[in-house]
Amino acid sequence: MIVNFLTYLRERPSFLKWLFLAYLAFALVFDFFADRHHAHFWGDHLVGFWAVFGLVGCLAMIVFCKGLSHVWLERDKDHYDK
Amino acid sequence: MTSSIFMHPATMFIIGALLLPLAKKCKVQKIWLVLIPLVAFIQIQYLPESFGKVEWLGFDLQFGRVDKLTMVFLHVFTLMALVGSLFGLHVKESGQHVAAWLYVAGSLGTTLAGDYLTVFIFWELMAFASVFLIWYRKRKKSIDAGYRYLLVHTFGGLVLLGGIFLRYQNVGDLTFELISVDHATLADYLIMIGFMLNAAVPPIHAWLPDAYPEATVTGAVFMCAFTTKTAVYVLARGFAGFETLAVMGAIMTLYGVAYAVIENDARRILAYHIVSQVGYMVCAVGIGTEMAINGASAHAYAHILYKALLFMGIGSVLEMTGRSKLSELGGLYKYMPYTMIFTVIGGISISGFPLTSGFISKSMIIAAAGNNHQLIIMSMLLLAAVGTFLSVGIKLPYYVFFGPKDSGLTPKEAPWNMQAAMGIAAFMCIFLGFYPDYLYDMLPYAVNYHPYTSYHLTETFHLLGFTGLGFYLMVKYLKPHDVSNLDLDWFYRRGAGWFMWVARKPVDATNEWISNVYESIGLRLTMAIARALSWFDWEGIDWALDGSARGVVKGGEQVRQFQTGKLQHYIGAAVVLLFIVLIVVVLV
Repeated sequence: MIVNFLTYLRERPSFLKWLFLAYLAFALVFDFFADRHHAHFWGDHLVGFWAVFGLVGCLAMIVFCKGLSHVWLERDKDHYDK
Repeated sequence: MTSSIFMHPATMFIIGALLLPLAKKCKVQKIWLVLIPLVAFIQIQYLPESFGKVEWLGFDLQFGRVDKLTMVFLHVFTLMALVGSLFGLHVKESGQHVAAWLYVAGSLGTTLAGDYLTVFIFWELMAFASVFLIWYRKRKKSIDAGYRYLLVHTFGGLVLLGGIFLRYQNVGDLTFELISVDHATLADYLIMIGFMLNAAVPPIHAWLPDAYPEATVTGAVFMCAFTTKTAVYVLARGFAGFETLAVMGAIMTLYGVAYAVIENDARRILAYHIVSQVGYMVCAVGIGTEMAINGASAHAYAHILYKALLFMGIGSVLEMTGRSKLSELGGLYKYMPYTMIFTVIGGISISGFPLTSGFISKSMIIAAAGNNHQLIIMSMLLLAAVGTFLSVGIKLPYYVFFGPKDSGLTPKEAPWNMQAAMGIAAFMCIFLGFYPDYLYDMLPYAVNYHPYTSYHLTETFHLLGFTGLGFYLMVKYLKPHDVSNLDLDWFYRRGAGWFMWVARKPVDATNEWISNVYESIGLRLTMAIARALSWFDWEGIDWALDGSARGVVKGGEQVRQFQTGKLQHYIGAAVVLLFIVLIVVVLV
């Protein structure tokens, strides 16, 4: 049953995409109503600050780590046996 | 005294382990495997505050010291022993279970220890028992990795022992209590380094991602829970409030997650991710406030369960397919749906989704950093949370169970006992998310923290949602490749190679050359010198000091001429002599 449901969803990627975008929109709207009394620093007062932090952090991390792996760290899997 | 040793939960696991082959012979191994951890899990509730005090060779040992900090770790350790044993129930080899239980005993013994010598004894038991969980995989890679693991831990143990000796010399007391930052000496820092090695703090972390992916399927489930979290416990007990730990911990969170983003082997991703998660706890210990220590304990509790759950999920895949590389997996949700659900629960818990255990534990540490006005550390922890969701929350389940391509594998679902173990762990992850007070009531200090505030929720919604968006945008760059990445174990893995090369080539060649030189020149020279000395001895010293020797020889030689040994000559000589005497007498 679970399998069929997931397969059904996988065959409809555009539906999943819109569902996901709807969730992001909901998150942004929710941010306007959040109680900001316990803010730790200035970023906590900005609406959408953590959205930017999450997106930029995620992209930067992918670019940095994948790049570093590609130019420097990447080796054959039996590197040490040679 | 005798009875108090028997109530020690480590004793129960040691005796349980020793009797395990007997249980196997009587065909009750499976019952035994569940019974002992279950009894231990219940029995720890009834431990007195202090027990097992022994005086030995002038040292005061304390095998049992129980307070709230001890209790929360004991609780999760015994629960984990139960879950792990259930997960490994189908393994027929008693040896693996014996190793696992001795390892658990080491961990419990360390947690309960009230002095450094007891800590050290159980610390070493942990290292030596756990290496068998790697060796039981029986592949050459595992044997090699096991030896490296053992060497690194032996080194760490020696640093710890050095610190303990030095401390005894300095203060003459080995009680294991909180050390004040202002009065810490070299001895204390050595002890701390010994502890940090087991907590896998970079740069002494590389043993973990090197060894854990090579362990057996069940072995890795045990290992991911005990070594690092016991280290977190001893750090919290002895070194709370050391600023160094806060900084190192924050670096750890990012270091581990960076490797988790680029690695290909699923169990190596999880292993690197332990480094990241333990970073949160080490950081909290370094912050050292009541809230931070609460956070470290809560996070250790939650982390043990969801990390074990992830190791069990990926372990089940490895058990059923024989593969653990993301590049070789995909589309397994059709064949292992329950394993998939459990793994995803582990993934969302570790990422800190609302209503899971990660949400109520990780945030406590981040809030503790914020309350302490350590904003850089707080941002580092939050960035690591982004990386966590990216690497373990999305990437791992995506490439194993769904993925852009189907691997073509059609494995069966994991055996019932594995699913039951995953079920218990998954239940706990969700249960703690719904009912955080169950965990909060166990924590060492009174909790004044509410995870379900609207601001914490919106922050989490954004961080997770937009990390997901980042993954969606960059998914083609994240495609796993079948490669390995260099880490700091390079120094000793390559270093050992160089050492062997130096031993084989230059040292051997020099040795050869010296022996040739010795044979061709040295030996002749020695002989010539020997001859010269002998001549000198003969001609010089004898002649100069006592010519008598040569005189005696010469005289003896001349006398020998007379002494022919023939009787008639002697009689003749005697007669001649007598005749001469007579003539002299008569004539005179």
